[in-house]
Amino acid sequence: MLCDSCGKNPVTTHIKTIINGELTEYSLCAECAQKLGYGDFLTGLGRDYGSLLGGFFGGTELEDPVRCKCCGSTFDDIMRSGQIGCAECYHTFYDRLIPLIQRIHGNTKHRGKVPGGNALQQRPQEQLSLMRRELREAIDSENYEHAADLRDRIKELEGGRANE
Amino acid sequence: MSNQNPVCEEDVVICTHIHLIRNLRDVPFVSKMSRSERQKLEQRVASAVSENEGLSRVFRFIDMESLSKTEAVSLVERFLISADFLSDCRGRGLFVNEDETVSVMVNEEDHIHLQCEQAGLNLQKAFEKADGLDDILDKSLHFAFDENLGYLTQNPVNLGTGMRASLTLHLPALREGGGVSRISTNLSKLGLALRGALGSGAEPKGAVYQLSNHVTFGLSEQEAIANLQSIAMQLIEQERAARTELAESLEIQDTVSRSLAILQSARMMADDEFMQLISNVRFGVAAGLIDPIDYGELNRLMIMVQPATLTVAGGRKLTPTERRSLRAEKIRDFLQKLNA
Repeated sequence: MLCDSCGKNPVTTHIKTIINGELTEYSLCAECAQKLGYGDFLTGLGRDYGSLLGGFFGGTELEDPVRCKCCGSTFDDIMRSGQIGCAECYHTFYDRLIPLIQRIHGNTKHRGKVPGGNALQQRPQEQLSLMRRELREAIDSENYEHAADLRDRIKELEGGRANE
Repeated sequence: MSNQNPVCEEDVVICTHIHLIRNLRDVPFVSKMSRSERQKLEQRVASAVSENEGLSRVFRFIDMESLSKTEAVSLVERFLISADFLSDCRGRGLFVNEDETVSVMVNEEDHIHLQCEQAGLNLQKAFEKADGLDDILDKSLHFAFDENLGYLTQNPVNLGTGMRASLTLHLPALREGGGVSRISTNLSKLGLALRGALGSGAEPKGAVYQLSNHVTFGLSEQEAIANLQSIAMQLIEQERAARTELAESLEIQDTVSRSLAILQSARMMADDEFMQLISNVRFGVAAGLIDPIDYGELNRLMIMVQPATLTVAGGRKLTPTERRSLRAEKIRDFLQKLNA
């Protein structure tokens, strides 16, 4: 696979961005990734945040880096490899990872399945968004009877949520 | 869904896959694991499977280290594993059910990568199966999850639901009209991707494409499935409209009939040629230009004569000429049996 930007070199970096809800993906070679400002995608964030934390804690961060209790990774290890070491790393480095995750996903709240729960049973918010979409489609296809039924059910659900 | 058929939209949708990726809470992620740690994890998954009567009855385990290169590639051709899974087979294993519609890769990029397949367009059913399997495995393996971040993954790009839904589509008419690249650019703006499923480049083999969701974070499984379903229905309608137009051409009718005749009688068949001919025949069946052939059978044939799968069936290393000859023979037999 060749770089989307120069079309010459093999791809080393995949970028996925969401801006105003629109997702764009590109695959870049190391050189173009650097040029377009993605070269320090992981490290830049880490260092900035690290130095900020370092400032708070009197610059002890470099001499005594925090290591994950489960896999032994430091935050620098994660930034260098671009891969998280283990589940515990997410907790150990939570505050420092959040800006990175925001940069990737533009949203930091999970929606959907929760272990032990039932993913098929939608939460009210998801159910509402699906019903609103169905309502738009029903109106577009001039299926007004179904649309009226959906409108009533949406109102009911919204009322239920307001009372909660 | 209003369609009562057990297999929906199979003239355009070959099959539906739901993938879920999961990691265990108490084990480092795959890139941090040694071979022996990976093997230990395989054993833990094996215990989780054996604890469940339903799973232990249907699943068999394949140790990737024990396979020849050809056998391993055949698993990719049968859509059971990803090509990445082959890059390093050490400490990697696969659980697969009898009809090969459910599989669990252990130690791919993440600890667990499970996938469920359904024929035609059936996202809901495939998801229900994957969701059920996920629940069973979670009881013993305890997957890593955070209320805000969702399922925790080695690469933060996959955080959230860890779900990819994908549809394998046959789009010969849209490809013929040059519409696929335009559509795929527009789809990427909606968080979906449309790519060639077999082979690389602008002209994927047999006009077989894969449509899948990209966004795993901030969208629930049901929302992602609804998005994909709605876009797929639009694509299907566009493909059907383009087919109706194409089918009126005498040249196209001639190509379809010739394609079937060649498949029925050729003595040597190269892979690329086969994919083009089977694509023409599938199109011909859908457009009513030739006698109906069951789509499921056509899909089975398509996989059966892929290079590595064919070689495995041949039972020995084959020269290119031998492979072409065996492929032609298998195709002739297959079509003859269907007619019988």
